[in-house]
Amino acid sequence: VARAIRSNNRLDLIVLTTCVVLALAARALPNTMRDPMATGMRRTFLAPLVLLQERAEKGRQSLLQADAKQSYLDSLSEGSMKAESLEGENDRLRKLIGLGSRLRWGFIPTEALHGRGVRDETTVILSAGSRAGVTRLSPVIAPEGLVGVVDQVDPTMSHAMLWTHPDFRVSAMSPDGSAFGIAQAHLTGATGGYLLELRGVPFRATLKPGSVIISSGWGGVWPRGIPVGTVLSEIKTTENWARTYLLRPAVNPADIYQVMILTRDRVGKGVDGVWESAAQVQAAAQRIVVSGDSAAKSAALAEAAARKAVLDSMARANAPATGATDSTRPVTTAPPPVRRPAPVDTTRRDTIRRDTATRDTTRRDTIPPPPPSSPRQPGVTR
Amino acid sequence: MNLSGAIRAIISFLIFVVLHYTLRPLLGWRAPMDFLVLALLLASVRVRPATAAVIGFILGLVSDSLAPDALGAGAIAMTVVGFGASYLKAVFFADNLVLNAFFFFLGKWVFDIIYFVGEQRVHGVELVQQLLLWSPLSAAVTAAVGVLLLFLMRPLLEPSPA
Repeated sequence: VARAIRSNNRLDLIVLTTCVVLALAARALPNTMRDPMATGMRRTFLAPLVLLQERAEKGRQSLLQADAKQSYLDSLSEGSMKAESLEGENDRLRKLIGLGSRLRWGFIPTEALHGRGVRDETTVILSAGSRAGVTRLSPVIAPEGLVGVVDQVDPTMSHAMLWTHPDFRVSAMSPDGSAFGIAQAHLTGATGGYLLELRGVPFRATLKPGSVIISSGWGGVWPRGIPVGTVLSEIKTTENWARTYLLRPAVNPADIYQVMILTRDRVGKGVDGVWESAAQVQAAAQRIVVSGDSAAKSAALAEAAARKAVLDSMARANAPATGATDSTRPVTTAPPPVRRPAPVDTTRRDTIRRDTATRDTTRRDTIPPPPPSSPRQPGVTR
Repeated sequence: MNLSGAIRAIISFLIFVVLHYTLRPLLGWRAPMDFLVLALLLASVRVRPATAAVIGFILGLVSDSLAPDALGAGAIAMTVVGFGASYLKAVFFADNLVLNAFFFFLGKWVFDIIYFVGEQRVHGVELVQQLLLWSPLSAAVTAAVGVLLLFLMRPLLEPSPA
């Protein structure tokens, strides 16, 4: 027993010595041999452990950077909120510059200072006064259209009555001159402050919803052609000799920040063509959209007709092969296959179909139904 | 040790190794716990000194492979610690948590001493500071964690009934 224990102890010491010598040898290896050995171990059986450690360290980095990332996200959110308002302001300023370039002369750019809450907005303070050339009853306009009129003027600022004011009136008409009336704030109802009504329109003159209403130029305060609003609907009143229409205003009082005051000279010369050009551009864009839609519609119809023709040919060709008989129909011999002309420009139709997948779906319903089938006569082909 | 005990010991060993590469980097302490030393010590008390030396050598190479400049230092340290732990298992085999904690503390400290001396990366005051301040701290943390894990993993680590 003692010999066996001694033998085991010797074996332990031999193994220990061997391991220590091997470790020392590894320690003494030059870098050129040490690195490949370590890399080999990391890339083979140690790869899962290395991956675990890498993920754990990433998790730790994420935990450490959580606060910094949160503050960074907060900063980004704040910046994006500011950017949104800046974009809106840029858009308004761009429109104002566009209006200025169309007016060319006879206007005073100014800022509108809101004094009260948005829902009670009937007047604003303008940052331009008599020193800048502002006079009483000068029209105040925005790129979208009519805003109000100056009712008080100080040397450095002025006070304007918005179209939402109960005393505000403007003579208005349809662009073709078929209907005239007086536009004023629509004060009935909870949302009356944001709508206009066109009163005193002759009974014979009817306006469709969506029609644009502009200032008529009568009265001398407003030049002709400034957009006032668009027709929403007719209001039923007790006045049977005239119609009253509800208008959506061209300018929302809550969006008034930068406006222009027209000088008396400019009012005298008129603003013809200032808003018409913008309307023309919009109309041209709509025409392009409509014409594109028509082209797509015609292409889809042609494609549907070609598809129907191909299906008909296939049905006739397959009828005798399947051997299906219809007891309600007279037994007839199958007509010989008809060679139809090849569809014209199929690749082009495919391209159009892919672009107008939604339209194609809707237009299948609009395909005219096939003509009623007549009993086929032997030997007769279409 | 029968087959069931061997399997449970291997599972425990693997759990410690996995913890070394997940929990340790996640915590990132200045005086980290060393689950590899814990795994080696727990394995060493169950095997012969020669086997413990081999396990220590392999485990040391594994730990050194992530620090190629110190390749071999960890292997020497682990070999010596494993062999010593197996040789002294009669002393520390008692079912006493304080003794086990001291066993872990001593094992980790000895490992650090051999490792840092063999690595030859730190010298002078820095080496003294490392061996007398950070290594004992790390050994203490390792011992505390080891005792906690012994308590949690008692069903796995207890010898199976005959």
